[in-house]
Amino acid sequence: MGMMEKIDEMASSEAREYLTFRLDQEEYGIDILKVQEIRGYEPPTRVANAPDFIKGVVNLRGTIVPIVDMRLKFNCSKVEYNTFTVVIILNLRSRIVGVVVDSVSDVMELPPDSIKAAPDIDSVIDSGAVLGLGSLGERMLILLDIERLMAAPDMGLVSGPE
Amino acid sequence: MPLILAVDDSPSMRKMVSFTLTGAGYQVVEAVDGQDAYEKAQSQSFDLVLTDQNMPRLDGLGLTRKLRDHPQFKTVPILMLTTESSDLMKQAGRAAGATGWLVKPFDPARLLDVIKKVIR
Amino acid sequence: MSETHQDSGGSGDFDLTQFYQIFFEEAGENLDLMEQMLLNLNLETADDETLNGIFRCAHSVKGGAATFGFADVAELTHQMESLLDKLRRHELQPNAEMVDVLLESADASRSLLARHQAGGEGELTPTADLVRRISVLASGHTSAPAQAVQARVAPAPVAAVSPAAVPKVQTKHLRSLEICIGPLERTEQADAVQELFRDIPGLGEIAVLPIEATNKRLFAVQTESSDEDLLDLFAFHVSREYIKITERVASGGDVVGSDSIVVGVAGGAALGASDEAQPGAPLAPLPGYGFFDGAPGAPTAVPEGTATESKAVKVAPKVASPNVATQPEAATIRVAISKVDQLINLVGELVITQAMLAQNSRALDPAVYQQLLSGLADLDRNTRDLQESVMSIRMIPMSIVFSRFPRMLRDLASKLGKKVDFVTQGEATELDKGLVEKITDPLTHLVRNSCDHGVESPAERLAAGKSETGTITLSASHQGGSIVIEVRDDGKGMSRHKILSKARERGLDVSDQMSDAEVWQLIFAPGFSTADVVTDVSGRGVGMDVVKRNIAALNGTVEIDSAEGYGMKVSVRLPLTLAIMDGMSVGVGGEVYILPLSSVVESFQVKADAVSTVGQGSQLVKVRDEYMPVIELEKIFQIPRFDFEKSCDIMVVVEADGSRVALLVDELLGQQQVVVKNLESNYRKVPNVSGATILGDGKVALILDTGALVRRSRH
Repeated sequence: MGMMEKIDEMASSEAREYLTFRLDQEEYGIDILKVQEIRGYEPPTRVANAPDFIKGVVNLRGTIVPIVDMRLKFNCSKVEYNTFTVVIILNLRSRIVGVVVDSVSDVMELPPDSIKAAPDIDSVIDSGAVLGLGSLGERMLILLDIERLMAAPDMGLVSGPE
Repeated sequence: MPLILAVDDSPSMRKMVSFTLTGAGYQVVEAVDGQDAYEKAQSQSFDLVLTDQNMPRLDGLGLTRKLRDHPQFKTVPILMLTTESSDLMKQAGRAAGATGWLVKPFDPARLLDVIKKVIR
Repeated sequence: MSETHQDSGGSGDFDLTQFYQIFFEEAGENLDLMEQMLLNLNLETADDETLNGIFRCAHSVKGGAATFGFADVAELTHQMESLLDKLRRHELQPNAEMVDVLLESADASRSLLARHQAGGEGELTPTADLVRRISVLASGHTSAPAQAVQARVAPAPVAAVSPAAVPKVQTKHLRSLEICIGPLERTEQADAVQELFRDIPGLGEIAVLPIEATNKRLFAVQTESSDEDLLDLFAFHVSREYIKITERVASGGDVVGSDSIVVGVAGGAALGASDEAQPGAPLAPLPGYGFFDGAPGAPTAVPEGTATESKAVKVAPKVASPNVATQPEAATIRVAISKVDQLINLVGELVITQAMLAQNSRALDPAVYQQLLSGLADLDRNTRDLQESVMSIRMIPMSIVFSRFPRMLRDLASKLGKKVDFVTQGEATELDKGLVEKITDPLTHLVRNSCDHGVESPAERLAAGKSETGTITLSASHQGGSIVIEVRDDGKGMSRHKILSKARERGLDVSDQMSDAEVWQLIFAPGFSTADVVTDVSGRGVGMDVVKRNIAALNGTVEIDSAEGYGMKVSVRLPLTLAIMDGMSVGVGGEVYILPLSSVVESFQVKADAVSTVGQGSQLVKVRDEYMPVIELEKIFQIPRFDFEKSCDIMVVVEADGSRVALLVDELLGQQQVVVKNLESNYRKVPNVSGATILGDGKVALILDTGALVRRSRH
């Protein structure tokens, strides 16, 4: 779906709520309905031969959940693990995944008309996964299609044909 | 409340007969074949016996003969439920001592009708 | 033939639809049982019990179908029942054609019932041809399916069956007789006459009639034999002068001359004559009833007045209070699978919690906490027992898997013109229900292969000095923590030479030095799954790679053994329990890994001189007389090592897939029960890892796939 179609689709729907989080200097927003819970960071069990941004797997009340460090995936300059580091547990239809972010801000409701198309810049993020730019006062949020992002082959979560 | 012994090896038939009878206010005891029915008859007295013909272990005719040999069941009405309506079967039923017969498939309303005629 | 379903529920307040489900299940079971018995029927020496059993199945389905208004099923099963009745009375000898048409009719009944169960949607299975074939067979002729016959067949309703279908019995005149035997000193002689009718097929039917004189016997007989023939026959038991035969008028209604029968409804009369005659006749339309005049309990023939009514039971319009005595206790109950799965999950959680308690209590002083520790030991035992019990709920016997093969092979063998005996062993071996569903397809493929490509045609077999009939054996057994399922045939086996040359053709890297086992494994290689390989080699190319993949997906393995000219054996090995297993935890570089205890053979501290290096850095270790490959887990899992002092000096020997390897680890951490968690549900398949588990401290540990590790070491 092209950017304009996406904006149109969003414009025709009602205001949605987005969980906002921070990676380095940027603020991002994802559909709150996809967020299951937010946890502190604990070192996962390493899984061999995985890309560096997949830190490993953790035990989430009996379920094994992979942990993806978004800062590594987006090539952020600073990657730290401290008391503010947060893991967002996502519930995406067929799978549960945790993503490591620098911090989580708040949940914002964005009316469709406050969302603009994002310019096509050469960035690490697949443009298909960017829904648009939301603005609220001074803040600018990069809205992500987190489901699509996680399902992308380069995210390493989905097995390709062996 | 009259107590009826319903004998049939087919669970769906048993349930159907049982449901029909209890809905009309009768009490029902189910048996899965002639042998089971005869055993149950040793410990309770029935006002009517409704039995299928084709069953494993002991069939309807065999059950009827055994019951008639038993002092307690010499006069209890025994109705044979059967899909076989041949004369020979009727003869055999009569010879065994059955009170009457009812051919399957039957209307639940007819079943109640017939029962009313014989139950005391 | 009626296509619509009469709504029997229309009779007053009686809604019969609530019994439909019970009937569908019951009919399904009866049809399955019938099929099984038909397949096992010995045509030469068919025993009465089996014939009666098959008859009763058809009879039961017919009765229910008629009662609940499924006319199409009732009609078909009525025809089947008529044929089966003749078979059980020995009026006809069973043959393969009859078995075929009965099997097909059972199938048709099943699909008709399924259609009703789905609310009448879907294609209607045609039954006219089946009915025709049944009636032809029932009349003692042979019959062929409609395709072979030209325009002779009327596809129209049953009633239009041609006169040719009228049973042989009717070509002679059927007589209704009354035979009085006596006076006799010993009435057993007369009883013996009854036996004659049972023992002699086609003689006729006999029924006892009541008679006053105790030294006489009265019978009603239907036969086509003449008086002379009968008297000759009876002479074996009773002299002629004591036998009196009189003809009865076979009226359409009440048949007995002397006693009268009070018929309740006019419809009852119509039933009298119709039923015994032709098997092609449609079902009696109107149900009737009647009482035997003078029988115990019979109502008097006086028209019912209010007098009898007042004694009648008050018909309470209330809801049926189930005042029903239960029938013999059911030995099983049906439970939703989701409930069982939930139960297993909960038990899994319990095991983890218990392990955590055990771990955290290790540091406690036994003297001070004696009661607590002993309580925890009890908990450990109880949890283990509970877990075993719960796991066994999902276990079902292999016979469920095996049951589909006799029929499938019979049809396939006949289609291919081959003679095959099917043998099963270990039907009682139990398997997790989840596995059963997944193993059925691969097994079906293997069995089909054996029949199609393994077992030779009767002519080829004879030429090869074998018996005409080949044998395919399907067996299941428990070995260690696995279930082993084997498909064996005594067919022509595989040709090593052909496989090797085909492999070379396909550009695969093979050598003549390869062991037989390795050569057979080649047929699983992707290059072999092409159609033209099917005819060239052993014909087993198609689908074998799919079979292997399916089995690997269940964490299982497939092995092949074959001898050209003698046969072939395919062994499938699957892990038994999916959810909980005994594990041995090992430590490498600060990380914890779990090995399935069932694969662990032994462990020892390694001495430098026992290890030798060969080839490109691969290592072998000598264990007693055996050399086995060494696998450095540190390398395979790229485990970062921070402590350069400590090094791997412990070897754990594991056995999987028929071979042994030694795993190099830092330390042995202990043994415990682990709950196997699936890694792939949220992540992906990781090489050399079969799953994950949660340790007592809440951390995740990976469970190693010993089979994969062993296979990895092979090349």
